[in-house]
Amino acid sequence: MNGLQSLSNDLASAVERGGRSVFGVNGRARLGSTGVLWRQGLVVTADHTVHVDEEVTITRPDGRALTARVAGRDPTIDIAVLKVEAPGVEIAEVADSDAVRVGHIVLALGSGPRASWGVVSSIGEGRRAKGAAGELFHLDLTLYPGFSGGPLVDVQGRVVGINTSGSSRHRQLAIPAGSVNRVVDELLRRGRIPRAYLGVSTQPVRLPEALRQKLNLEQQTAVIVIEVQSGSPAAAAGLSIGDVIVSLGANRIVDPTDLKSALRPDTVGETITASLLRGGEPRDIRVTVGERPRRS
Amino acid sequence: MDTLADIAELAEDLRQVTVEVTDNDALLGSGVLWPAGHVVTNAHVVRRPEVSLRLADGRRLRARVVARDRDADLALLSAPGCGVPPATLADPETIRVGSFVVAVGHPLGVRGALATGIVCAIGPIDRSGRRWIQADLHLAPGNSGGPLADAGGRIVGVNSRAAGPLALAVPIDQVTRFVRAAQV
Repeated sequence: MNGLQSLSNDLASAVERGGRSVFGVNGRARLGSTGVLWRQGLVVTADHTVHVDEEVTITRPDGRALTARVAGRDPTIDIAVLKVEAPGVEIAEVADSDAVRVGHIVLALGSGPRASWGVVSSIGEGRRAKGAAGELFHLDLTLYPGFSGGPLVDVQGRVVGINTSGSSRHRQLAIPAGSVNRVVDELLRRGRIPRAYLGVSTQPVRLPEALRQKLNLEQQTAVIVIEVQSGSPAAAAGLSIGDVIVSLGANRIVDPTDLKSALRPDTVGETITASLLRGGEPRDIRVTVGERPRRS
Repeated sequence: MDTLADIAELAEDLRQVTVEVTDNDALLGSGVLWPAGHVVTNAHVVRRPEVSLRLADGRRLRARVVARDRDADLALLSAPGCGVPPATLADPETIRVGSFVVAVGHPLGVRGALATGIVCAIGPIDRSGRRWIQADLHLAPGNSGGPLADAGGRIVGVNSRAAGPLALAVPIDQVTRFVRAAQV
């Protein structure tokens, strides 16, 4: 057998192996999505494909339908976790996503199973500052309709990420397995995925050139606080209307989306430094990230 | 890289069994040299009882349409005496989702162009229930009727059309059934 035939067999075996943990998810009208059995009783999928808050019908690899319950969501990285008893379905083998390199051959799996292949084309945040919501895999492959939420597997069929077409629905991205693990661990530790909360409303603002040079800032924009909710973590930390937030913890804040991305579930309870401009002068303040009050 | 050399060799072998189907020099599509002096192509490629074929070595010959099934989108042409060994057919049981596949044809008039991908799924794409080999590769007009082959160069299907970025090919078991029925 030549090299090409053995590659072909490896790819098909990777699909077969990865496909044993793949579920169909019917969490929205018309187009279903895909999920993967990540841990015992927990199916991970893409948050944007789950439009319901409680029960979701999912389909096992053998075609049988089950009812799952939404156990938690992290919209900051587009992950939802569903709770379901699915005896006999193999739990995915999750690989170390830090070992993934640009150029690696990967397969995207949809329920069925269906598959597409390509390479990791870049790893990073795209236009965003590194680290905000963690890095993403940018993929040179086709995510066919319904592939969002499904596993990105390596040539051994091990899961290295969760595919998503992103908020635009036209991108080919994967959330690295390491980021998914953080969310799932948080769910197991607390029994839920908390929503991190500062209690500010912001708008993007352009930084004056002179100020950028004076303070040695690379970024051209930041966000300005236009509302501070009373009793919120931001109020407790002394944030005021008019403060310009340049960074939060290790994350550069270029627009309000960056702020949302920086407030990952695992930051709840942490005290982090917000770098501000107040009256044109830099100032650091410490803020303890709170948990968004739950709607009753 | 052995694997890349393998792809080049595979493409060259497939070009030998891929013909151009033409009508007065206008390209209609592609076709596959089938055993026993036949050529298989799509029904939508041949709309007249006779067409011209151009072989990989440049020779031209006339071919008669022996059978045509619009529902299956298959046509069988009689082309005796071309003297080229026909394509090797795959065992339908060996086709797996994820397998590497290649398409050879003449998309937009580009002779013998190669496209590579994997089998995305095998099954229906709509409520008609009709089975397709759905391949994760790009086809263009001119690919119709050409071979979809596995990593060993064996024909797994006959390319029929594109559905967005997905290639749809008639599975080999349907093609062999059609050919057998047409040869009575």
